Amino acid sequence: MPQGLPAYIGCRYLLDVRSILRILADNIKRTGLPVPGDPGLLTSWSTGLDLPEKGDVILYTGGLYQLLPYIEEFAEYLEKLEGGKAGGLLLKAAGKLGRLASLSKIVVRPSRERLEYSRQVLVSIVELLKSAGVEIAYPRGIDSYSGVLLYDMGLDTVFREHARKVAEALESVGAKTIVTVDPHTTHVLRKVFPRYVEGFAPTVKSYIEVLAENIDNLQFKQGDAGQVVIHDPCFYARYEDIIDEPRLLLGKAGYTVVEPRRSGRMTYCCGGPIESIAPRLSRRIAETRARELDEAGGEIIATLCPICYSNLRRAYRGLGLERDIQDLSILLYRRLGP
Amino acid sequence: MSIMLEKVLEDIYKGLEDPEFSMAISRSVSNAEGKHLRVKESYPYVEDLRLRVLEAKKKALENIDYYIDQLARSLERNHGVLHIARDRDEAQSILGDLVGSGKLVVFSKSIVAEELGLREYLESLGNQVWETDLGQLLIQLEHGKPMHTTAPAIHLTIEKAARLVREKLGGELPSSPEPEDIVSAVRRFLRGIYYRADVGISGANAVAADTGSIVLVENEGNIRLVTGYPPIHIAVTGIEKIVPSLNDAISYALVQAAYAGLFPPTYLNVISGPSNTADIEHRRVYGAHGPRELHLILIDNGRRRALLDPGLRDHLRCIRCGRCQWECPVWHHTANKWGGPTYGGPMGVLWTAITLGKETGAELSMLCLGCARCDEVCPMEIPLSSLIRGLKRVYSSKI
Repeated sequence: MPQGLPAYIGCRYLLDVRSILRILADNIKRTGLPVPGDPGLLTSWSTGLDLPEKGDVILYTGGLYQLLPYIEEFAEYLEKLEGGKAGGLLLKAAGKLGRLASLSKIVVRPSRERLEYSRQVLVSIVELLKSAGVEIAYPRGIDSYSGVLLYDMGLDTVFREHARKVAEALESVGAKTIVTVDPHTTHVLRKVFPRYVEGFAPTVKSYIEVLAENIDNLQFKQGDAGQVVIHDPCFYARYEDIIDEPRLLLGKAGYTVVEPRRSGRMTYCCGGPIESIAPRLSRRIAETRARELDEAGGEIIATLCPICYSNLRRAYRGLGLERDIQDLSILLYRRLGP
Repeated sequence: MSIMLEKVLEDIYKGLEDPEFSMAISRSVSNAEGKHLRVKESYPYVEDLRLRVLEAKKKALENIDYYIDQLARSLERNHGVLHIARDRDEAQSILGDLVGSGKLVVFSKSIVAEELGLREYLESLGNQVWETDLGQLLIQLEHGKPMHTTAPAIHLTIEKAARLVREKLGGELPSSPEPEDIVSAVRRFLRGIYYRADVGISGANAVAADTGSIVLVENEGNIRLVTGYPPIHIAVTGIEKIVPSLNDAISYALVQAAYAGLFPPTYLNVISGPSNTADIEHRRVYGAHGPRELHLILIDNGRRRALLDPGLRDHLRCIRCGRCQWECPVWHHTANKWGGPTYGGPMGVLWTAITLGKETGAELSMLCLGCARCDEVCPMEIPLSSLIRGLKRVYSSKI
């Protein structure tokens, strides 16, 4: 059996995709989140940080970093279900009986370590923005899940309604610039919301763009920080043309950027977008990408997106390889200093 | 025909669990990915040709009835015959009337013929039918499906190809054959067929409305024999292959070859009517050394409906170079097991939606990553990932 392939040989495919979509749509309609949980989980990371609620430049996380540990657990659960008859039937039955919430509650128990990593990423982003001289505010009450998964899955009716609520909340704080933290939220706010919510046309920037604009203000430690293989996320590289900025920042922080095969504008997908539809196929794509990042030969692999981080991490685990994967923000934050 | 996403995934997972299949695809991708960029670097004028074809396709699709009429007149002038088929049944019926039964028929590779089930249909009428493109012949022998638009047998390792040639054609091959041995065995077998064939059936890379010319690009040389030797040549193609001029049509074939990564093409065929001569007293006689009859069957099969649909219209610009397949992360792991019963990959999902209906395409769309690598490389600037996302809306509207 090829390395990394779970023992599914001979098994039929049993996940009922429409049931999965029903669970997703149902969760978002009920709680605003794609997985069950208290919306407070989106903002708890900021406890203890001295961040004003109001300002011209506001941080909107869109929730992907905070939710990823939960989504990851959900995807792993689905992957297990895919291998067994009972799981597929359970999903289908849950969909038909309307017991979606109870089923979802069973599946999401992220580890402390994963939750802590997401917190560290967001704290690092805030500290980096402050160091770059950006006066960033965080109106906690309006931070929410952007709904990007609904859009990606074609659940347009639910997405449109969700987008309207998010846009209303964002407009209510009257900020001049909205700073985002991941490529999917950046894209959906900048290019998709304006098509779905009439009159919504804010200035949206990824924190990476904001840091690059203020790169002269950033003070990093001196010396060589090692070689970093960069994995561009599809949504930054192809949809938002954010390619040079992370390289500039890594370079200034003392890292040597190593380009893997399929880099920049032709970067390769981590498989994430289909992880809840076809977990085994998604994982195989992630493994292909993980191998080629590995072949590039750097010491650290840098990701710029929580979905890429999660998928590549799982892929290396599946391949039995231990690799140091770090979010860009963590790598930059480590190097802050005189 | 209805397709269920879950069934498609079952087949995909069989492929993922087949190391031979995965290895064969992976090797081909390594050789083919990004090849169009190297072609464009060596031959910068390909970019000018691409832009010419893009404009020609847009113009022809916006005025399709005008160009069909012009093509009909041009073909008539050249002593060719135009037939128009609305769907699969009509195409089979027209072809059946032209070919009859008890004939020996040779096909050059045509994905439209696959779309319409023409080989199987002619066999059901009692004809002996052979594919002549090496890859397509292997597909015929394994009763399989083409796994790439321009390279149909990429999923077969040399061992598997040799087994098929030995068992199905009785080809004599050494115990550890090289590709050359397989090609020679197939060549020996097919040479005997071409010269006895009653009918040759081809597709068309492009059709020129102003001259009535069919343009075909190839490397193997089989298209020359299929279209040049049997007494009757029948070309089958979709209405979207029509472009205004012969200049456009030749550019079309060259761009297709460049983006397929096979440039320069070994052969470029222009067929503007049955073979003819005026060497005796300058009086034109049809049926010289080549075919004495030329028929062109133009296929609709959902294409006109797609022209009216903003969610599919742009995809009619597709020139079937297969570049989006070579660059797609999903296709790299599934080949044409993802995309539909005939077509595959990102372009395949949309061709399936055009030819079999949007709901069928929608089932397949859910496996698209939306990563947009296909959008980056499409020579006809088709927003493939956006169109596929439109199909996801169709799928998800039924939850």
